[in-house]
This record gives sequence, structure tokens and C-alpha cells, in this order.
Amino acid sequence: MDALTRQAPVGAGSAPEAPAAPRLVPRRRTWRRALRRDWQLYSLAVLPLMFFVVFRYLPMVGNVIAFRRFRPGGSIFGETWVGLRYVRLFVSDPTFWQVFGNTLKIGSLTVLFCFPLPVVLALLLNEIRTRWLQRFVQSVTYLPHFLSVVVVAAIVFQVLSLDGVVNQGLAVVGHAAVPFMQQPGWFRAIYVSSEVWQTVGWGTILYLAALTTIDEDLYEAARLDGAGRWRQAWHVTLPGIRPTMMTLLILNVGTFMAVGFEKVLLLYNPLTYPSADVISTYLYRVGVVSGSFSYAAAIGLFESVIGLTLVLVTNAISRRTVGTSLW
Amino acid sequence: MDQLSRRQLLAGAGAAAAAMALAACGQDDEGKTDDLSGNRDGAMASYGAGEQFRATTALSFPIMLLSSASYPYKADWLFWSELTKRTNVTLEPVVVPGSDYNQKRSVMISGGAAPLIIPKTYHPDEEAYIAGGAILPVSDYTELMPNFKQQISTWNLKNDLDAYRQADGKFYLLPGLHEDVWLDYSIAVRTDVLQQLGLQIPQTYDELATVLRAMKTAHPDIYPMTDRWNNPTPGGNLLGNLSAAYGTLAGWDYQNATWDPTAGKFVFTGSMAPFKAMLQYLNTLITDKLLDPETFTQQDDAARQKFASGKAFVMSCNAQTLVNELRKDIAKIPGATVVKIPRLTGPLGNVKQATSRLENGVLISRKAKDSKNFVAMLQFIDWLYYSDAGKLFAKWGIEGTTYTGNLDSGIKLAPDVNWGGLNPTGTKNLQVDYGFFNGVFAYGGSTKYLNSQFTTEERKFQEVMNARKTLPLPPAHPLNADEREQATLWETALKDHVTQQSLKFILGQRPFTDWDTYTNELKGKNMTQYIDLVNKAYERFKKSNG
Amino acid sequence: MRRSRGERVFTACNAVFLTGVVVLTLYPFVNIVARSLSAEHAIRTGQVNLRPLGFNLTTYRVVLSDSVFWTDYGNTVLYTAVSTAVSMVLTVCYAYVLSRRDVKGRGVLVGVAVFTMFFTGGLIPNYVLVSALGLRNSVWAIALPNAINVFNLLVMKSFFESLPVELQEAAAVDGLGTYGMLVRIVLPLSKAMVATMVLFYAVAFWNSWFPAFLYLDRAELFPVTIYLRNLIAGATAGTDQNAASDTALQIAANIQAVTIVLTVLPIMLVYPFIQRYFVRGLMLGAVKG
Repeated sequence: MDALTRQAPVGAGSAPEAPAAPRLVPRRRTWRRALRRDWQLYSLAVLPLMFFVVFRYLPMVGNVIAFRRFRPGGSIFGETWVGLRYVRLFVSDPTFWQVFGNTLKIGSLTVLFCFPLPVVLALLLNEIRTRWLQRFVQSVTYLPHFLSVVVVAAIVFQVLSLDGVVNQGLAVVGHAAVPFMQQPGWFRAIYVSSEVWQTVGWGTILYLAALTTIDEDLYEAARLDGAGRWRQAWHVTLPGIRPTMMTLLILNVGTFMAVGFEKVLLLYNPLTYPSADVISTYLYRVGVVSGSFSYAAAIGLFESVIGLTLVLVTNAISRRTVGTSLW
Repeated sequence: MDQLSRRQLLAGAGAAAAAMALAACGQDDEGKTDDLSGNRDGAMASYGAGEQFRATTALSFPIMLLSSASYPYKADWLFWSELTKRTNVTLEPVVVPGSDYNQKRSVMISGGAAPLIIPKTYHPDEEAYIAGGAILPVSDYTELMPNFKQQISTWNLKNDLDAYRQADGKFYLLPGLHEDVWLDYSIAVRTDVLQQLGLQIPQTYDELATVLRAMKTAHPDIYPMTDRWNNPTPGGNLLGNLSAAYGTLAGWDYQNATWDPTAGKFVFTGSMAPFKAMLQYLNTLITDKLLDPETFTQQDDAARQKFASGKAFVMSCNAQTLVNELRKDIAKIPGATVVKIPRLTGPLGNVKQATSRLENGVLISRKAKDSKNFVAMLQFIDWLYYSDAGKLFAKWGIEGTTYTGNLDSGIKLAPDVNWGGLNPTGTKNLQVDYGFFNGVFAYGGSTKYLNSQFTTEERKFQEVMNARKTLPLPPAHPLNADEREQATLWETALKDHVTQQSLKFILGQRPFTDWDTYTNELKGKNMTQYIDLVNKAYERFKKSNG
Repeated sequence: MRRSRGERVFTACNAVFLTGVVVLTLYPFVNIVARSLSAEHAIRTGQVNLRPLGFNLTTYRVVLSDSVFWTDYGNTVLYTAVSTAVSMVLTVCYAYVLSRRDVKGRGVLVGVAVFTMFFTGGLIPNYVLVSALGLRNSVWAIALPNAINVFNLLVMKSFFESLPVELQEAAAVDGLGTYGMLVRIVLPLSKAMVATMVLFYAVAFWNSWFPAFLYLDRAELFPVTIYLRNLIAGATAGTDQNAASDTALQIAANIQAVTIVLTVLPIMLVYPFIQRYFVRGLMLGAVKG
């Protein structure tokens, strides 16, 4: 029996009433009932699930090499059990903790800046009255997304070189030239700025799409209530895109440790290692000599656990505060 | 956008997980193969040095082929068809773009899908594949490769080859062999500026400092010297050349352990007295504003730009960048000329650094041993890579069709064939259209072989360099797998600290009075334990391999 | 509607700020376009700024007249089309299932996806898997291993969730089953989001080179990203000591710039078609009537 048919029909005039009968409240749902009722839904999930199992979960077994010694060319599951050997190896390596700290700092700064700015830009773009102008500006701002990391690094070097634009500006105000690329104190600012520049335009696309779903009537109602532009943004626009924002926030927090390996590799040098060296670049240098996949796998699992924990925590907070949750 | 994840890069990284130290056999047993009677299909019954190899039945072997952007792979190259005609062997290439060859090679080997023949491998990249049993210890089969053996003995390459051996005494890479040390990188100097200031080409680093000072006086608002090639090693060439002149190792040549012949053991590079002296020399250049402070961190393009616009007169170069980059870059500066000068000498005097005469080479997959045609394959490789006829064919092609002459009288390209500007009227290119002179097959060789491709200018450079006495190579000191895992972490921490502090000392960010503190910091990073480990490995190898 | 003074000030500030953003993001691109059209020497001495110096189309000509380039370009188009289609189908279906709060086992289904964001198998196991499935050297090696991007999936799910639940009821009344509801109601209302996801997937596949590099061993199957990447790498390495031709040097000087232009141009041309979906008020009248 289809539970849906029990609900009060929705039509003109019946909307404001509280629903007469419990609609979709489960009545001791068992799997058989659920499958019978929703078989169409489950059928939609079959192919994607197969994808996850085959292409994501099956290779995960390979992570076992974090606890077994892996030799390239030998079994892909490693040769012998070594237990927590590799975990102990990286836990006792002082350089690892230093690069771990750097990864945390750079990652969090990146999320801190790269998350809200596309929202702000989307809101500002939304305020442009002229349609073609809005489209033009928006199309231009996403261009940096397409520049390869090599080109971006070259641009950064050029702008910050001793006779680059920034130092020329400093010369005008009488300040001595600063070798930005050689000072660890500047690295984070440089990295985060280049990330913001590259991602802010592309990031607005999603929010612009979300903005289209906001009911025009809500704006009308707000205007009638005398709300100015700010109030409208605060009470209509932001809540309208909140689900998208929160989802992206949760996901960004969860993956914040995935600091861009290639970009750091191109921008750093031994003088800036103290703040620039991240886990991925450190492993790269270590790996160049040893090719130790097991060591990398152990560290990878460590990072994965952290990421997953963060997602669960952020998700819980999001659910409590604004009601958006991944689950 | 695809970003290379750390794991992806690690897969492309190199080596060490060397095999356990087995009870080593003496080397006179070397090359004596086990019973290969089941693998002799297609092989020549008697194949000796200098003979043309020809398989007795038509054979085909899969090979990993690096497709260079300058001459991308073409299935219809004359090289392929002529090779089959001469040897009765067809090669089946697995084409890999040159930009990421190492990574693909690593993935294919680790995933068990690699072809039997894997060329273009640089030492010590092969070490990663040994412990997993993916590649053959080729030293066990050199008996089947007469040309290879002959070149090793004629050119006296035993010591160079020892450096490629693992703790079990075997080597796993079939290297390219050079008759002479071939040094290409050096420094380029604007000779017109020298002329204007009435200076001679400097021959020592002290003379260089004098020259730079004179340049600075004449051009006070620029830094006369800058440099390139800083990624991933800052000052790779600059420090490399300098360290050779001072008797230590730095830049591209950096190793944590330097061989001290007088003491008869290895010492830590970063705390050696010559190393300090070298840093002091560079610090003087920086303090006197002769060397660009961005030298060690800038990108290549920035360095080239400075040279091209006359903001620097001295920079690192090699023969190719000299002709194709520096000379073209300064073309618009009136009267500008540039020359690659012979490497500058220092406290050690007129010597040439100890460099291996071996270079990149070929790996053989372990699966090859199971093939019926294993012996034929080794003979084929021996002919193509190590015989005079094979090498000549790989480089210059077919006499009468693509070239005339020989190595003694000189090679002349056929009228419509061009390579590297040797024959500008030629419409076809030796590499692009015919597939010869391909870096996958044509490398190494005798001095005459190399000279056939050099310009007169480069030949003169090589003559000057070859007149210098070559310092001996450091002795081999291979670690076993367990040692290697711990040593790697120590090595990285030590090398990072040394490179970082070296830059600070050079740039004046840290005074030399701090040198003892610096040495103590190194001790805190396991410097002593590491050097002891290396010396132990050296003693062990010496005892078991003589 | 008369604008208050506050609003006019805001508009003015907004205009200034956005102009700054435009300049910052457009300038490097204009510089790259200029470089792609400039002569080698001007580039090497750093003189090229906003206008091409020594205008020439050499690099474009060499690249565009290379038949290998066009073969690879065709490959890219094929791979992108197939991969995007596969990804969209899978992602939309799964996102819809996840968005239905009444589905039993929803938590597990979401968890299955989220878990894969953090735990992956690593390079070698994936390579061995694709090899074992016989997918190497085919378009499926590109389309299947990365079919669902969990970021996109979850964003799409949250969007579906924000659609009013009355729609579902209305559709049920109209006798539509799940499939009908998805195709006839939900998707048409999600045009902006669907367009965005198509864009995200298509651009990702368009620019991707790594899976192709890993799983394709035959030169005629390579996409154009590998061709261009190899060209860039080849321009910076080289082994012959003798003079390279002037053409080769010209190419070396601006091949990177040309690559970027050739890669971005198609996307810039396609993007306006996506943009017209970003129109407010698509939801108007959906629930009423």
C-alpha cells in the first residue's frame, strides 16, 4: 500500500492547514517495505553504488601497505606485516611534525579566505543592474582558474621579484626592496593570495546558480516591508544560498589539508622551508631518494582520519546551528 | 584542474630499497649465467664483439619508448624498418610522453605491466625496483653481451661500474658508457664586455671575482653575475662547479657524504672546511654586490631576461643553452658576444672533478627471463647499444642515405637531411622525419662518436677540459634495505638543513662566526650516526668485493 | 524607485571594487594573449606587456597545422563528451536519491560517498584495477574511474533538498512515479544547477591529462592536454648543441601562452550558453498553479 496516497491532497486552499494525517512518518519500516515502496529510488542508486564499490572501495584494500612492507614490482599488497612500523617512523620524525604544522596553517588560512570571498563576490555581482555588464564581469573573473599552476607561479615570481611591480611600488614610497620569495614570513600570505585570486571567480558560479532559486516573491515581500538593499541581502539572499554555503563549508573544512602540492613545489625554496614545506612536498623530497610507498600510505591514512573527523565535527555543528547536514 | 597528488609524484620518484646483502660471489664469476638452454630461440649461436647481430627467426620485443616533444614518435620512421632489416627484430613501442616518463615507468613497473625493455633510466632510479624483484640483475648476464664487456675493459670503467653495484655486488642497470668524462655545464661570459674593460677570460674563481669587480665599477647599478637552474636545487650548477674546484660536493653534485682520500673514509659534506671556504667565497661576492641576491631563488626565465637585457654579464650555461638561448637573447644588443668558458679552477688547481663515465641506460624486466627469446634479446641490446656499428646506425642512420663518411674522417649529412643546423639547406630532419639520433637509442660512446656531433667551439672546450687530470671516483658504499629506510629520513633532514643554512651563510643572513653552532645543529640531526653508517657500508663492501 | 544616497554610494564603491577585480583577473590573461602573438626576442627580454610586440602567428601556425594536434583535439572532445554524460547521469541519480529524506538507509548511502573523499586506494591499486578490467587504451579508462565527484554530488544533493517538498506531493497526486518526478519536475527546475555541474565536469575532463597519461599507451589516443604538456616540457629541455631553427626557438618562447589560449578559448565560447541559466526567478510559478 502506497503511503503517499494517504496524504491530504494539496491544492488551492489547503496549503496553510497542518497536514491532517501523518504523511511520511515511518510506521515500523522494514527493509522489505522500504524496497517495495521505493524500489524506483533504489534502482537509481544501483549504478552509482557499483561505481563506488568498484572504483573507490576495491582499490582501498591497497592501503594495507601502510602496515605491510611494499616493494615496487612485488605484490601490490606488500610482502610482510610490519604493523605500526611506518606510523612510528613518521610520528618520531621531528621534520614530519613541522611540515604537519605548516600544512595545518596554510590549509586553514586557505579555507578562511577562499570560502567566504566567492560568496561576497557573488553578492556584489548580484547587485549589478545591467545584465550584460554582470555577465561580462563574471566571465572575466573566472579566467585565472584556467591558468596552469606553472603559469601562476611564474606570475607570482614576476610580481614579487626585486624589480617587480610590488618592489617598484615600495621604492616609490622610499622603502628598500624586499626579497619576498626568500622570507618564510611572507610565504603564507603569498600562497593564500594566489589561491584566492585563482579561485574566487570560479567559485562564484555555484553561488550564482544557487541565487537563481530564490523566490522573487521573497524579495518583493521584503521590499514591501521597507527593507533596503542590505536587509534584503541579509534576510533573503543569504538564507537562500545557505544550504549550498554550508555544504561547501563542511566539504572545504574536511579537505583543508589537501594543500596544493604543485604550487608549493614551484613557489618554495630552502630558505622558506620553515613555513612553506608541507606534508606533500616533504614526502616528495624523501621519496625521491627512497620511493617508500608504505611510508606515504601510512601518512596518507593519518591525514584521511583527520579529514574525516573534521567533516563529522563540522557537520554536527552545522546541523545544530543552521540545520544543514550532509546526512 | 588536475593537481599532482603527493602519491602520484612519489610513484614517479626514484629509489633505494636495495637488496639484502647476500653472500657475495667474487667478481670473476660474474656474467656466468645459469642454464639458459630454454631461452635461446632466435639467438645467434656464436655472437662476438664487432659482429652484426641478426636473429635467426623474426622476433619482436616490447619496449617503453619516450616520445620527445622535439621529435614525437612516428610509426613509419626509417629507423624502425632498417632496424628490422638488419637485425630481424621488430620493436613494439609503448609510447610515453617525455614530460612524465619517470612516473609512467614507475607505475607500469609497480603495477606489473611494464614492457620487457625499459630504457632512459638514470641511476639511482633503478634501486626502487630491485627489492620487489621487478628487474633483472643484468650483471649476471654480461657474458652474453660481448660488446658491453669489451667497452668496459677497453675504457677501464670498472670503478665507475662499481658505483652502480648494490649491496649484493650486482648491478641492475645497463648504463650508457662513455670513453671520457663529458662535462658540459659551465659559465657563460659576455666577451665583448671583457674586451671593453681590457680583461682576459678568467681561469680561476679568484680571477672571476676580479673580473666581476671591474664590471661592477663600469656598471654600478647592476649585478654583473646572476644565475639560473634553481629548481629543485638552488644554485645547482653554480654550486656544482664551485664545489668541484674546492674539493667538496654542492649544488647538483651534493651528497651528504664526501670521500676524504687522505683520511680514507667518508666525512660529512656540510661541515667540511672546503665547504665553508666555498660559502665564504660566495658571501664575498654577495657582500660586494657582484652577485645578484636573487641568484639562488629566481626562475630560469627571470635569469635569462636579465642576461638578455644586459642586466647581467655572467651566467651558467651548457652548450645547448649557449647557442640556442643566450646568443639569441643578446642578438639585439649591439656587438654583444658570449662564450662558454672552461670550468674555473680553485684551490685544488687544474683538475677535473670525479664524474662517472656512465649515464642513463636500460632496465630489463624480470619477465624477460621467462621468454624463449631472452638470449636473443640480450644480444640484440648489446648490438644496438654497445657495438660500434649499432651505435653509428642509431645516431646517424644509413650510410649513403642519411649521411656519408665515418667517425674518423668525419660525418657529413646527406644533402637534404638536416640536424641541429649542420645542414641548413636540408628539408628533412634526421630526428623528426627519419627517427635517428633518438635519445632513447643514441647516447654514450667513444670520444670520436661524441665529437661527430659537436661544433668546433664545443670540441675546443672538451679539449681543454680533457687535458685536466681527473680526480678518482669515491668508492662504493651501498646500503641494504633496512639501512636505506632509516638513512633516507636522516639524509633528507640533513640535506635540507645544509642547503637552507648554506643559503643563509651566502646571503649574509647568518654570520660565519655561527659555524660551530651550525655544526652542532647538524649533530642534532643525526649527522654522526649517518656518517658512521656510510663508513660501515663502505668497509663492508670493500671486504666482500675487494 | 528612487535610490537612496546610501545606495548610490554603495553602487559607486561596488563599481570601483569590481573594476579592480576585473583588472586583476583580466590583466594576466591579456598579457598571455599578447605573448602568444609576440616575437621571441621581445618575450625573452621581458618587454611584452599588453600589446603583442613583433606580431607573428608562428607558434599557432605550427601547432594548428600539426595533424597530431587535431587528432588529439578530437580525442579530447570525445573523452569530455562521454565522461561528462556518464558523470552527469550517475551524479544526478545518486544526488536525487540522497536528497529524499524519507529514503531508508539514506545515512549509509551518504556515508558511502563521503568516506571516499578521504580514503583512496593509491596510484598502483587503481592502475592494477583499471588494467585488470581491460579498460586501458579506451575512452572508459577516462570516463569511469572518476565518474562521480563527491563535491559535486553533495552540492547537487543539497540543492535538490532545498526544492519545496510540496512538489513531491503534487507530483504524486498527478500520478508520477519516481522516474517521472525526477525527469519531469525536479530536473527542469534545476536547470541552473544542472548547467553548473555540466560545466564543472566538462571543464575538469577537458583539462585533465593524468588519467589519459596513465591508462593510454598509444600515441593516437592521447588527448590534446598531453600533446601540449609534452610540447611545453620539450621546449624547455633539449639536447642538441647545435643551433635550433628560429621556428623552434619562437615556439619555445611562447608555447605555454599559446597552450593556455587554445585551452581556454573553447570554454570561453561555450560559457555564455551556460550563463543564460543563471537567471533569477526560474522558480516563479513552480509551486503555485
